[in-house]
Amino acid sequence: MDAFGMGLVAALGALATVAGASEDIESDVGSQSNPNSQVQLAAQVGNPHRIYNKAIAGEPPSNALWCATAAIMAYVLIQGYHMPLLFAAAAGASLAALFNGVMATSAYLGRNASQARFNQWVYLDIIRYTTPSIMAHVWITSFCIVLISIIQVYILTPHHPFPIPVIALIWGLTVGAVGSSVGDIHYGGEREFQWRLFGQGLNTMLSGQIVRKAEAGLRNSIDNAWFCAKFGGPCTGMGFGLTVFLDNWRTTVFDPVNQAGAAIAMGVFFVIVMNLYNFYCELSARRKYGPYPGYKGDIAA
Amino acid sequence: MSFDINTIIYMLEIIVGGLLVGIGVHFVPVGGAPAAMAQATGIGTGTVQLAAGSGLTGLLSAGLMMSVTDNLWPILATGAVGAMIMMDSTMLTGSWIYAYAVGVPFASAKVNYDPITTFSQPPYVAPGTVGQGIPTVCYVSGTIGAAMGGIGGAMIYYPLVQINHNPAMSAIFAIGIFMVDAVLASWNIQGTIEGFHDPKFKKWPKAFKSCLVATIILAIVAVLITPLGGI
Repeated sequence: MDAFGMGLVAALGALATVAGASEDIESDVGSQSNPNSQVQLAAQVGNPHRIYNKAIAGEPPSNALWCATAAIMAYVLIQGYHMPLLFAAAAGASLAALFNGVMATSAYLGRNASQARFNQWVYLDIIRYTTPSIMAHVWITSFCIVLISIIQVYILTPHHPFPIPVIALIWGLTVGAVGSSVGDIHYGGEREFQWRLFGQGLNTMLSGQIVRKAEAGLRNSIDNAWFCAKFGGPCTGMGFGLTVFLDNWRTTVFDPVNQAGAAIAMGVFFVIVMNLYNFYCELSARRKYGPYPGYKGDIAA
Repeated sequence: MSFDINTIIYMLEIIVGGLLVGIGVHFVPVGGAPAAMAQATGIGTGTVQLAAGSGLTGLLSAGLMMSVTDNLWPILATGAVGAMIMMDSTMLTGSWIYAYAVGVPFASAKVNYDPITTFSQPPYVAPGTVGQGIPTVCYVSGTIGAAMGGIGGAMIYYPLVQINHNPAMSAIFAIGIFMVDAVLASWNIQGTIEGFHDPKFKKWPKAFKSCLVATIILAIVAVLITPLGGI
């Protein structure tokens, strides 16, 4: 273990946290992934809306695509043209953002045009000012992931044997999986249905009845990003940051050649602590919200 | 190429790895899109996406370990630990949102009492939902599933590197085999499951058989095709 290695691992954790947060906000401002099923459904049950509607793919495959695209360009610039690492990462991320802009626009136009029979309009102003925001978030995510891959391959010891695009593909898939599992709940469970009863899950009868009015005027996806950036985004960043940081920390502090057992035991320790923490969360949620008042069964709470 | 006893051992390792992935997916508590709206128990995403996210994080850890040692056991163990860390971080931060933002008590709709904590479940299930959040039994089940996925991914990757000595190509092939088995298992559970306590879990022998057939074919292709490109 050396101070330089620990500094790099801390930088990896910080980059991963930023990547996770921006990934989640990108999926919120573009309305991608699981909660988008409600946005899609809303117009069909008589609630046309001004929320962006892009579900290019599930979050993990789409983010794997952006990050791998950025990493391939960065890899070519570094290996073929000997460009500086930071410049290569920035150029790669710009390419990924452009790809994303094309697909987001076509997804929005296609999805909303196909819902014309439900009185859902295509809003050109929404495309004009929401698409750049989506692209900007993709830029941040891909830039951070490519930098993580570059650090793992070129700087951090032991160097990772996979090439940069493969590592970026896997981290892109992972950040998408974390964003889809964590941040989506804040957007889908909290932001889309703000007037359901607090302390209980969402009744399926309310499907498609999403909130369409904002603090002022009609709600759009920029409002959703503003809200989700307060908790859903940071939580996603924390989830992905913990993954990258803890996984690299144990193999940096303990030499994988001589102390492989200690590195594995430390990982198991982290896992046990997280299991106990979730048990604490469960206990505190049960205590705070209590059983459903209208429950008529014979099983005691 | 020479088709010797080592080749058969490599194929067996790939097959066992594929089966571990297929069975491991059954342990991961995913509720799909409804879980993202707190309408169902589990993690609010797709089965394959989460299993792939955790298993491939394990593959990254295993790849790093394999660059410094040829011993199989540390490689498998570190693959499992990497996958478990990813899955547990994800479920934990998801629990924060369920508990502190959406505001729901964690409850399973598939059992009356949590098999691990023995907490009662039905009084906490809101009407019109099939549970919410990630109760302890689901969390432990997800950790087991991630470990199996991580070991499976590492076990597919290990023989591929032994055959072609090319980590990049082996990783891509391992990702492919991983995805095939995860998708087959996902079809078997119809997209959502709560964990080993869910009645759907009893369907695992069907996934076992289909993953076995698919992975045998992939293993043959893997050992035959990789040396051609493994320069």
